[in-house]
Amino acid sequence: MSQSILKISHLQKSFGQNHVLKDLDFSVRRGNVISIIGSSGSGKSTLLRCINLLETPDSGSIIYQNKDVLKASNSEVNAYRTRVGMVFQNFNLFSHLTVLKNCTLGLTSILKIKKDEAEKRASFYLQKVEMSAFVNAKPHQLSGGQKQRVAIARALAMEPEILLFDEPTSALDPQMVGEVLAVMSQLALEGLTMLVVTHEMAFAKEVSDEIIFMKDGIIWEQGKPNQLMQNPQRPETSEFLTRFRQC
Amino acid sequence: MEQFYLGLVKSWTRYGNSYLLGARNTLLISLVGTFFGCLIGFAVGVLRTLPISPKDKWQKRFLNRLLNIFLSTYVELFRGTPMIVQSVFIYYGARIAFNLSMSMWTAAFFIVSINTGAYMAETVRGGILSVDQGQTEGAKALGMNHSQTMFLVLLPQAFRNIIPQIGNNFIVNIKDTSVLSVISITDLFFVHKSVVGSLYLYFESATITMVIYLTMTTTAAWALRHLEGRLDGPQHYDLAAIDTLAQTSGLLSYKAKGEVGHD
Ligand SMILES: Nc1ncnc2c1ncn2[C@@H]1O[C@H](COP(=O)(O)OP(=O)(O)OP(=O)(O)O)[C@@H](O)[C@H]1O
Ligand SMILES: [Mg+2]
Repeated sequence: MSQSILKISHLQKSFGQNHVLKDLDFSVRRGNVISIIGSSGSGKSTLLRCINLLETPDSGSIIYQNKDVLKASNSEVNAYRTRVGMVFQNFNLFSHLTVLKNCTLGLTSILKIKKDEAEKRASFYLQKVEMSAFVNAKPHQLSGGQKQRVAIARALAMEPEILLFDEPTSALDPQMVGEVLAVMSQLALEGLTMLVVTHEMAFAKEVSDEIIFMKDGIIWEQGKPNQLMQNPQRPETSEFLTRFRQC
Repeated sequence: MEQFYLGLVKSWTRYGNSYLLGARNTLLISLVGTFFGCLIGFAVGVLRTLPISPKDKWQKRFLNRLLNIFLSTYVELFRGTPMIVQSVFIYYGARIAFNLSMSMWTAAFFIVSINTGAYMAETVRGGILSVDQGQTEGAKALGMNHSQTMFLVLLPQAFRNIIPQIGNNFIVNIKDTSVLSVISITDLFFVHKSVVGSLYLYFESATITMVIYLTMTTTAAWALRHLEGRLDGPQHYDLAAIDTLAQTSGLLSYKAKGEVGHD
C-alpha cells in the first residue's frame, strides 16, 4: 500500500447558516487519481477550495508532510500551494500575459528559477498539452479547450505533488471536452496524483483509482470505480447515478 | 472684424513668446503633477486594498484601520475642496503656520500632485477591485503572496484599465493649473491676464489663450490614445514553430503508476 501524502480529517465549513462540509475524512495516496462526484451544491468545489486554502475551513485538519496546513503561517501556506496546484473551471489564466508568460510567471517569481530555465520548463509542459505553437498568444485569443490546456501546463510547470481539478471541462463546448480529458488521462498514466471534481462519469470510471460520492456535504460513499458505479452500496449513490445516466 | 485681427496680431507679435512660455509652464506643471499624482494614487490605492484577515494580530489590524482612516481623510479632503482654495491655503498657510517658505513652484507641483493623487487613489482602488476575482485565485493557487499577486497580476491589469483616467486627469490638470495664478505662477492664464493688463485686448488675448489650451489638450488626448493602442499589443499572434528547446529539456519526473505500488 503506497503512503498517503494528504490526509484530511474532520473537515468542516459553513457559509453563514449554510453548513457546506460536514466532517469530511479521507486521504490521498501518492500516484492515485481520486474523482469526486455528486450533484450540484453538494460541496465539491468548496472541498477543493478548502484543500488549497482558497477558503478557510472552520475546523478539522489537512495534514501534508506531517504538518497541519490549517495551522501554517502565510508563507508556509504559499509554499504548500506550490506543491498542491489547482486547475479551475474558468481557467483563470492571467489575461494580460502570453501563454508562455502565464507558465513562467510562477517559476520566476515564486520558485526563483532563472528566466531561460523557466522558459525551457514551460515549453516542455506546453508541449505536453500540445500548446507549444501558441506561446505568443494571449488567453483571449484561444478557444476554451486551449485555455484549459494552458492552465494545466501552468500548474504542471510548478511540478506540484498533487493537482486539484475543479470541473475542468464544465465550461467547455462538447467538442473540446475530449482534448482536455485526453491530457488528464495521460497525466494520470504518468502517475501524477490528482483530485478531480467532475461530471464526466466515463472519465471518472476509466481513469480514477477511487471515486468519492458526495451529497449534502458528506462523503456518502467511497470506493473503486467499478464497485461504486456498478454495485453502489447506498441507495443515494445509485439514485444519483441513475439520475445522471438519464440526462 | 478687422480690428479683431489686428488685435490678435498685436497681442501675438508683442507677447508671443510670453504665451509660449506660459504654455510651457502649464504643460510642465501638469505633466509633473500628473506623474507624481499617479505615483501617489497607486501607492494609496495599493495600501487601501491591503487584505486583512481575522487571523492577523490585533496590532496589524489596528494599524491597517488607522492607515485606512488617514488615507480616506486625505482623499476626501482634497477631492472635497477647490484647488484654488487649497493653493492659497497651502502656499500662505505653510508660511504662517510652519514658518516654511515654499517657492511658488514647489507649492504648485505639490498642490497639483497631491490633488491628482486624491483622484487617482480612488481610480486605482476601483481598478484593482474590478480585476476579476479569478485572477487573484489563479495567482494564489500558484503560491503567490499578496505583493506578488498585486504587482505581477492585479496592477498590470488595473493599470491598463486606468490609462484613460490618467489621460483624463492630465487634461483636467492642463486646464485647472490656471487657478495657480493666484499664487503668481506664470502659467498660460497668468500670461493672458498680464497681456490684457497692458494691451486691454480682452477678447483677442482670450482667443489666443483658448487656442493654445485646446491645442495642448487635444494633442494630449491623441498621444494617450496612441499609447493605449501600443500597450494592447498586436491583435494577432503568430504560431510559433514547434519548439525544439522543449524536446531536449528534462524529462517528466512523475513515476509511472506501476512503480508506485498497489494496495
Ligand atoms: N463563497 C460562498 N459564500 C456562500 N455560500 C457559498 C459560497 N461558495 C459556495 N457556497 C454554497 O456552498 C454550497 C456548496 O457549493 P459548491 O460550489 O461547493 O457546490 P458544488 O458541489 O461544487 O456544486 P457544482 O456541481 O454546482 O459546482 C452551495 O450551497 C453554495 O451556495
Ligand atoms: Mg463546483
